[in-house]
Amino acid sequence: MSASSFRIAVYIALGLCALGLLWRLSAWLRVRIGPDARAIPFHRRLASALHGAFSFAFSRRLPGVLKAFLLDVLLQRRLFAEAKVRWLGHLLILLGFTALLLMHALAALLTQKLFKGYQPTLDPYLFLRNVFGAMAVAGIVLVIAGRRRAQRVAPTAHRLGDRVFVALLSIVMVSGFLLEAQKIASPAAFQRMVDEYFGEDISPEDLSALKAAWAVDYGVAFEDAAADPDPALLETGRELHKDACASCHSLPTSAFVSYPVSRVMGPAVRPLDDVDAAKWLWYLHVFACLLGLAVLPFTRLFHAISDPVSLLVNGAASSRPLSDAGRASRRALAIDACVRCGLCDTRCSVAPIARFMNNASLLPSHKLLSTFRFAREGRGRLRDGARYDRIAEGAFLCSSCGRCTERCPVGLGLDDLWTAQRDDLAAAGHPAAAKWVQSRTASEWADLLPAPPGEGPAVAPLSSDRRTFSPCVQCQTCTNVCPVVAHTAGAGDGVDLTPQKVMNLLRLGMVDLALGSRMVWDCATCYQCQEHCPEGIRVTDVMLELRQSAYRRLATVRDRRRPE
Amino acid sequence: MNGNRTRLFDVAVIGAGMAGMATSLFAARRDLSCVQVGNGGGILFASGLLDLLGVHPVADRRRWDCPFEALSSLRRDLPDHPLARVGDDALRAAFEAFVSELGAVGLPYAPLDGANHPVLTSIGTVKTTYAVPRSMMAGVEMMRSRPSCLLVDFRGLREFSARQVVAKIGADWPGLHSVRVEFPGFEAVSELYAAHLARAIESAATRDSVAERVRPLLGDATAVGFPAVLGLSRSGEVHERLQQSLGLPVFEIPTMPTSVPGLRLKDAMEAALAAWRVVRHVQAKVTKVSFDDDVATLSLDDVPGGQTIRARSVVLATGRFTGGGLSAGRGHVSERVLDLPVHQPGTRGEWHRRDFLDPAGHPVNRAGLATDGDFRPLSADGRPAWHRLFATGSILAHQDWMREKCGSGLAIGTAWTAVEAISRGLQAPRKAG
Amino acid sequence: MKYAMFVGCTIPARLPAYETSTRAVLARLGVELVDLPFACCGNTVRGLDQDAYVFASARNLALADRAGLDVLTPCKCCFGNLRHALRFLSQDAGLRARIGRALESEGLALPEKVQVHHLLSVLFHEVGVQAIAAAVTAPRTGLKVAAHYGCHALRPSKVTQFDNPLAPTLFETLVRATGATAVDWPRRLDCCGDPLHDANPPLAGRLTQAKLDDARQNGADVLATACPYCQLRFADAQAGRTDPLPTILFPQLLGLAMGLHPGRLGLPG
Repeated sequence: MSASSFRIAVYIALGLCALGLLWRLSAWLRVRIGPDARAIPFHRRLASALHGAFSFAFSRRLPGVLKAFLLDVLLQRRLFAEAKVRWLGHLLILLGFTALLLMHALAALLTQKLFKGYQPTLDPYLFLRNVFGAMAVAGIVLVIAGRRRAQRVAPTAHRLGDRVFVALLSIVMVSGFLLEAQKIASPAAFQRMVDEYFGEDISPEDLSALKAAWAVDYGVAFEDAAADPDPALLETGRELHKDACASCHSLPTSAFVSYPVSRVMGPAVRPLDDVDAAKWLWYLHVFACLLGLAVLPFTRLFHAISDPVSLLVNGAASSRPLSDAGRASRRALAIDACVRCGLCDTRCSVAPIARFMNNASLLPSHKLLSTFRFAREGRGRLRDGARYDRIAEGAFLCSSCGRCTERCPVGLGLDDLWTAQRDDLAAAGHPAAAKWVQSRTASEWADLLPAPPGEGPAVAPLSSDRRTFSPCVQCQTCTNVCPVVAHTAGAGDGVDLTPQKVMNLLRLGMVDLALGSRMVWDCATCYQCQEHCPEGIRVTDVMLELRQSAYRRLATVRDRRRPE
Repeated sequence: MNGNRTRLFDVAVIGAGMAGMATSLFAARRDLSCVQVGNGGGILFASGLLDLLGVHPVADRRRWDCPFEALSSLRRDLPDHPLARVGDDALRAAFEAFVSELGAVGLPYAPLDGANHPVLTSIGTVKTTYAVPRSMMAGVEMMRSRPSCLLVDFRGLREFSARQVVAKIGADWPGLHSVRVEFPGFEAVSELYAAHLARAIESAATRDSVAERVRPLLGDATAVGFPAVLGLSRSGEVHERLQQSLGLPVFEIPTMPTSVPGLRLKDAMEAALAAWRVVRHVQAKVTKVSFDDDVATLSLDDVPGGQTIRARSVVLATGRFTGGGLSAGRGHVSERVLDLPVHQPGTRGEWHRRDFLDPAGHPVNRAGLATDGDFRPLSADGRPAWHRLFATGSILAHQDWMREKCGSGLAIGTAWTAVEAISRGLQAPRKAG
Repeated sequence: MKYAMFVGCTIPARLPAYETSTRAVLARLGVELVDLPFACCGNTVRGLDQDAYVFASARNLALADRAGLDVLTPCKCCFGNLRHALRFLSQDAGLRARIGRALESEGLALPEKVQVHHLLSVLFHEVGVQAIAAAVTAPRTGLKVAAHYGCHALRPSKVTQFDNPLAPTLFETLVRATGATAVDWPRRLDCCGDPLHDANPPLAGRLTQAKLDDARQNGADVLATACPYCQLRFADAQAGRTDPLPTILFPQLLGLAMGLHPGRLGLPG
């Protein structure tokens, strides 16, 4: 590839990257999560973001921001507190990748200008490249291992772009090491260097001496290399090497990764030379790099931008609460800043419930994505297959323990996001069950909620057993001690039935009429009725069981795809 | 509660109706350590009025103005009747103790004067009773003198219609008038429940508002009657303040069970027992009692980990059929906890008289446990089933408390006598055999 | 005295002072607390899916059982839910089998021995009123306290076994141990309104207000609670009021009486 076509490729990649970044960054101001965010126009959020960005440097928020940058962004203290292995892995990738980017990828721009006599094949650069590469590879291994372990607890949600970055990074690292290994042992590369350096000015004797030295010291896989070269010849070759090559070529042992790889490749090097493998490996290496650059905004690597911003915003917010517009933008930012590390899922208080109910929508990583999809695809539109009832169940079964927010390594304000999600769902016709029930009267629900097959003693042991309620003498004590009935101030405000009437419906075999009643759903579960019942009827337990029956039946009629 | 598993109580009371409550209370007052099993639901059906003995003989439906005169007649006619075995002094002392305990926990009764009292009921009839809650006492005086009087009811409260009461008794009481007012705070509610109003009126603002609404309607009334909703745990205070702000005597009219006075009585009993440190196992049932020489062991159902109670004496106060102390099988009435022999008619055919409404009642209404003079139930051989096993209240044989209007008297009087016997027995050195 | 501390979801998220003060007071009274990887007690799903709720509770109980510890929780709702779960498991063989299988798939076994205690029960029955009174060095003499019991500890008494459900004395006795005066107020056993707050806010608000008015009318200087939901409900209902009835968590009250620094009890100052 010529220098100019390489340059064009770089510019194309850079251009694509810039466009992508613009799109992704603007999403922080475009995506609206939560009904309150929908009321705030784009320009107000832009103004608030610009104002925030420019003013914090001169405000009392600055110390908070600086602290956040040092501890959270650079040292990743939150990740350290949560998962040591993954913190180490992340740090290794971060340092290795950044160092390679600066020292190696941008050598022409930086290293060459800063360090006289820079040569990629010379120590310390050769050694350091291997060090950095090894760090990145080790980091990838640790991070993947840590993830695997977390996945055993709960399956973390992921997006398409999540694995692209790791895949590309792996390709870059592996192709880089292979390329270096191939070049170390390649007779063709040796010949090219000899041609470039000596041209015609080298005698066949010197050439064979030099080859002998490189065969022994560099492991170049010459076809005609003697297994046990003549010591005198070797000595001559090494002298020659010292004069001509050593100023640019350190010994390959510094390449403590690539050199062993090249030794392993051994006899395969020459056939690879025949197909010009070094060139293709270089193409692969560079192509993967440029592809990574071009799609950067849509890969996990974008978190290198979104996470620091998110952490810095947190730092700023810690000293003064954000404005409405700022909070709206922070929610959109949170979606991008999530790296789906899954640590929230492993700490989630309702994760056991999620497993038992087989509904991953309860887990934070899944909720984050469903929140985003809901916002992106607008109210009332979700891709086919997405189950609103499952998503709503996940949103409303959250116990609001805050562990996900507290433990998030990138400090996302998840609790605020979950509130916004619940509000969004409620506004779109999927409120919590207790609210949803209020949309119809008990008798309407009775028509809509027929008993599903299989409902019986196993799932409704109390209400399906006459012995539960047959002792009821309708003495009204339950109603007399019920605080909910007592504080009903008028029609529509409180309960439609009394506990004693619910018992009577059961006695009459009209359980369907009780299921959607306000009494059942607005029961405070204070157990006054159960405690006071002179017949020892488990009135409150029956109320709760009726709710469970109703919820089970609601799932059968709830629109699974889209709200009204 | 954990320490109670190994604790040896002086008295274990099975049952938490009026008799069980009175027994526990009297035992605790005598410094006997006491544990009680039962949910006390039966008391919810009480009216708050404590009868001693109102009617005897039942076949004649003869009402008595003085319960003690009725008692001497009862002792002559029915010497096996449990009340016949309780002395007048014991009954006076027992009632005094009982109502003073209730007064101490916020449910004051009018002073006992040895007489029965006529009380106007929510259906316009007159009930004869002995101890009357202070909040109802002005009504008794009004019943006797029948001056101009206002009955107030609340729109939406189905169990009490002042107009119906006036319609029923107005011919004999021309000065009785009715008015209907809205209960403050419940204007938009269609159906009201007495207990909710009783709780609400304990707030000073609601109480004042009720007085405000009634005051313009007073006319020439010399007293004001309300349904029994004037407070739950603070009925004494509510009643007094309402009298002050209306400037007239105020009285409550007892409503049909389950009523606020029943709830009050239950709450007051619970509070009194708690104050006397009676250990309660509510909503538990005794499944088995085993006796050794000196200690009875009670097994409770349905308690996690299983629980037993050890006690030096046991009192059976489980009531009759509705209370669950007795059960009527095919042709045979049996006692449910210990399967003690039950005094009963010979065959099922003799349980009831031909006329179901026969004023004399039915032989089965006098079924129950036969006891000795200390109310120790007898086994088949005619000797006490266990030397410190007692029975109190309506489970006892030879009485028909509903028709005789002696339910509370039976519970309170037999409890007093049994506890006296327990106290004596626990202090005395144990007799052999 | 050693317990597995079940702090639940709401306390760490919304009322960390409760955990702080509980730990401070119990440490001083010689009660050791052990932290296990507990999750939600199942409260969020209690009225929706019985099996899921019982499983959530049972999983926590199984963890404590495996550690050979009884559970102590400062939350009345967690307390009620955990105790109910034990009871449901003991009553329903089918449920027991289903939950047993689910626990097995998580490497756990059905809880057998574990008992669940509320903070107040442990203070009253295990630490003992005498030991508490002996630890009080700065008695709250003259402070009139309305003790709010909280439904899910008290009822149903058959399940909770906390105190006499109709005439409890445990909380007032503990209040008196701090040197304070326990006021008698008719609505002391009533619901705080919190369980209704999401479904019916106006009605819940009336429940809360009735309690606050009653406590005030009966001369309370302060309302003492021992449940995060109740505490938060009373505080939220009075937000913005210029003359709120102060509410205090019982371990804070006790801690102050024991001479602990307010800062160690999550109190200002």
